[in-house]
Amino acid sequence: MQVAGIVLLILLGYALFRGDFSWPAALTWQELPEKLDDAQTWLLEQRTAENPNVIFAIFDGFRALAEWLVTAIDNVLLWLTWVGTIAAATLIVLRFGGWRAALIVFLAFVSFALMGLWEESLQTLALMSAAVLLSLAVGVPIGIVAGRSDGFYRAITPALDAMQIVPAFAYLMPIVILFSVGPAAAVICTMIYAIPPAVRITALGIRGVTADAVEAASAFGSTRAQTLFKVQLPLARKQILLALNQTIMFALSLVVIAGLIGGQGLGDVVTNGLYSNPALAILAGIAIVIMAIALDRATAAIAERTDPTRRHLTDERRRRARLRTLATFAAIAVIVLLARALGADSIYPDEFETATTVYTATIEDTLLPWIQDVLDYVQDPTSFVFGITEPIGNFLLEYMLEPLRKVLVETPWFIVLAGLSAIALVISGLRPAVTAFVLLAAIGVMGVWDPAMDTLSQVLVATALAVLFGIAIGIWAAESPRVERLLRPLLDTLQTLPQLVYIIPFIYLMPVSRIPGIVASVLYAVPVVIRLVTNGLRGVPPAAVEAASSFGASRAQVLAKVKLPLARDSIMLGVNQAIILVLAVVVIGGLVGSGALGDMIARGLQRNEFGEGVVASLAILALGIALDRVTQGQRAAARRSSGRGPGGGWTLLRRQGQPRGGDA
Amino acid sequence: MEGKRTRLALLIAMALALVLLVAACGEEKDEEPSGGGGGGGGESAQADCGTVTINENAWAGSTANVYIAKAVLEEELGCEVEITKITEIPVFQAMADGKVDAVLEDWQHVDEYKKYIDQAGTVVMGGPLGVEGHIGWFIPKYLMDEHPEFETWEGLKGNEELFKTPESGDQGMFLGGDPSYVQKDKELIEALDLNLKHVTAGAEPAQVARWSQLYKQQKPVLFYWYTPQFYNQQYDLAEVKLPPRKPGTDCKDDAKAGGDPEQYKCEYDITVINKLFSKKFADSGSPAYDVLKRMKLTNEDQEAVAKAIAGDKEDPDKAAQDWVAENQDTVDAWLGQS
Repeated sequence: MQVAGIVLLILLGYALFRGDFSWPAALTWQELPEKLDDAQTWLLEQRTAENPNVIFAIFDGFRALAEWLVTAIDNVLLWLTWVGTIAAATLIVLRFGGWRAALIVFLAFVSFALMGLWEESLQTLALMSAAVLLSLAVGVPIGIVAGRSDGFYRAITPALDAMQIVPAFAYLMPIVILFSVGPAAAVICTMIYAIPPAVRITALGIRGVTADAVEAASAFGSTRAQTLFKVQLPLARKQILLALNQTIMFALSLVVIAGLIGGQGLGDVVTNGLYSNPALAILAGIAIVIMAIALDRATAAIAERTDPTRRHLTDERRRRARLRTLATFAAIAVIVLLARALGADSIYPDEFETATTVYTATIEDTLLPWIQDVLDYVQDPTSFVFGITEPIGNFLLEYMLEPLRKVLVETPWFIVLAGLSAIALVISGLRPAVTAFVLLAAIGVMGVWDPAMDTLSQVLVATALAVLFGIAIGIWAAESPRVERLLRPLLDTLQTLPQLVYIIPFIYLMPVSRIPGIVASVLYAVPVVIRLVTNGLRGVPPAAVEAASSFGASRAQVLAKVKLPLARDSIMLGVNQAIILVLAVVVIGGLVGSGALGDMIARGLQRNEFGEGVVASLAILALGIALDRVTQGQRAAARRSSGRGPGGGWTLLRRQGQPRGGDA
Repeated sequence: MEGKRTRLALLIAMALALVLLVAACGEEKDEEPSGGGGGGGGESAQADCGTVTINENAWAGSTANVYIAKAVLEEELGCEVEITKITEIPVFQAMADGKVDAVLEDWQHVDEYKKYIDQAGTVVMGGPLGVEGHIGWFIPKYLMDEHPEFETWEGLKGNEELFKTPESGDQGMFLGGDPSYVQKDKELIEALDLNLKHVTAGAEPAQVARWSQLYKQQKPVLFYWYTPQFYNQQYDLAEVKLPPRKPGTDCKDDAKAGGDPEQYKCEYDITVINKLFSKKFADSGSPAYDVLKRMKLTNEDQEAVAKAIAGDKEDPDKAAQDWVAENQDTVDAWLGQS
């Protein structure tokens, strides 16, 4: 209720001083963008100088390594031929992950072939595998250290936060200067985004090993290294495999951006298709989703099936397992050699030729017109759907977004600043409030207070919608397992489909510039909220529910009086995560007319206003951390005291919980 | 535990062996074309063309240029053409590193010219492509028929309310261009004292979606647009004339330069679209360089091919080859045979 009071005070300030006090020039560091521009020019000069610094040689070595890795993986896949690639992937997953996962992987490869995107899909797969391997090579060791040392973890946490929130658009150009264009630059961009989850989940896994086990080991005289390798790592195995799984998902979400700097493959098709062939862009987006789902199911199944704590092997069964492995690889070798001998193409062909006729081998020409038909329908302003969506878009703009933007931008800055910090104080405590205050002030000093408040209004509206829908659907899913099962593929799709792709229909359906960006961010954030709410409600002890029912409470009463209050923490975490995820989509919003910070970042790369772009990115980072502190509640403090280690609110997992198959 | 470890080792060993094996095969494969000397057909004088890498920009006009060049280089010179798709600014570094040989359509990135052409000398100017860009304020033709006074910007004055949308509040809406394009519309609106609100629609596809939607509803809309653009063959648009450029006065076009809005108070200048080459490519003696340097297209050529590709969804290679077949004279001039 105190929060409501603070909000009222802000509104009062708006009513009294509307538009009177904008951020003063005296408190602005105006040279900052120029200084950043100069830094980039300096970098360029250093790079092209006669005798470049040794550091550039190191970068160059890394570039060569990354490039070699991508090419090598691509070459392996080409050498296997398309028949061999399908066989190898399917059989390996069959051996280690079971038939269900193998079937999904098989269907995924078949669909790449049929969609006519075989080559692009394999390029993306190669790029991603290289990025994931290198991310794990860097991330897992750091995660192990972080898992064993609280101080170290706390020291690197801000860096990890920054890596995940600063939009890739902001650092594309410096990366191109350092690593040139091509697969290497794409791999490095992806690594910046994919390393943090690898570090975090590994650290979490190491931490999760019970103190008893570690103590027992040292009591038997284990050295620290022995404890690590014989106790902590094996017991954290499942978490480390989850790290692999999450790293893959994060890497895939950067595929589209990598397309901008010469990372070939599906990302390329998406970015360029948007201009000349949107149907093809959508098809490529679907291929990315299929790849994500297949990789997710395969890694999760392998993690589950090979978990030594779940299967107790006798010598006899172990020998048989080894035999099966050998048989699998023998079968792959035979298929590959046969395929090569019979002259199978390295890339799935567009048509098959027999002596008499030529068969079209893909159904791309059937699929594209279908997608185009849907797009045409969406673009038709007389359509039934448009008649519904356009008024909704206008309503959101006129009655939610615009009033909120006006309040945030036109209320005197010191009132907004004080108000937001006060809300942080009430909800989260003193330290988070101080952090929020400092960061919000920094936004003003960087000279982007107005656009940041504009972006904030969009973030708040999107978050409100995401939380609203997320809680409603989450409750439904928690009450009915069938709904949850039906939702799962949909949620997976929403989280992995590049936002640029699902934003397309909304550009047409809600032709109001800021709205499509908001819809896209709601769609991106809502799955996480749904999952958190469902998990939270499931986690309510059955005893509490039974007790309430036995006193004659109805289902609705149980939900409102028992389950929701007990699940409050998960729901608050949902709000917090929704804000962070919404912020991640701000840049994409800039590409479809959100204006404000997103626009500045998009321009930063495309018009080389580097300084402005970096400033806007820093503002997003500051806004993100500030909002996290405002909404994190007492959760972080509680977690710290319960000894589960630091970490703030940034548990930016795409999917809360464990790989599936288990009963987490 | 022991068994698992051996199995893991076995797995790793197998994977490594596979990688090495194939890396070796890959190298073998790479050597083939150069060892074979030109490979499939083509006269010996042209065999040294090798691979030419051309960058394609996102918009359809650029696709048209690149595929026309590809058709000519591959069919007439027997080169192998690779196409990259890197965005406008990073591609300068790509040329500097020799990863991209040619950009056929650069819309005057003057800052980058300074850095890469004048200072570092890693990129060379390839001269105008022949296509001339023209930026301006456009409205649908039906609106112009209804309001002939929109012929010039003065006609907009007092009629701004016609362009009102939920997004622009009490003012009329001006739909701004792709944030990555050269523009000065906010400054123009201020300098001309029009009651318009500049609304960003985002990247070009999103902007097209916005105005084409209003076009289909036959509603009024005023927006940033340019030629050559294949959409101009699909939608009937008319231009609102801005104050003319006075010879001898300095009038700026790119708001990036900053300064007083008064300095922008004139129509956009014609944009000369340049070809750029990487220094390495220019010095390589490749016959492809001379052809690309001589390559010239008109706005009509480019729009026609772009429409075939993006509008009619023709295969880009085929659309370009058809154009080449119909315009053999033009192409012969590029090849240096007249």
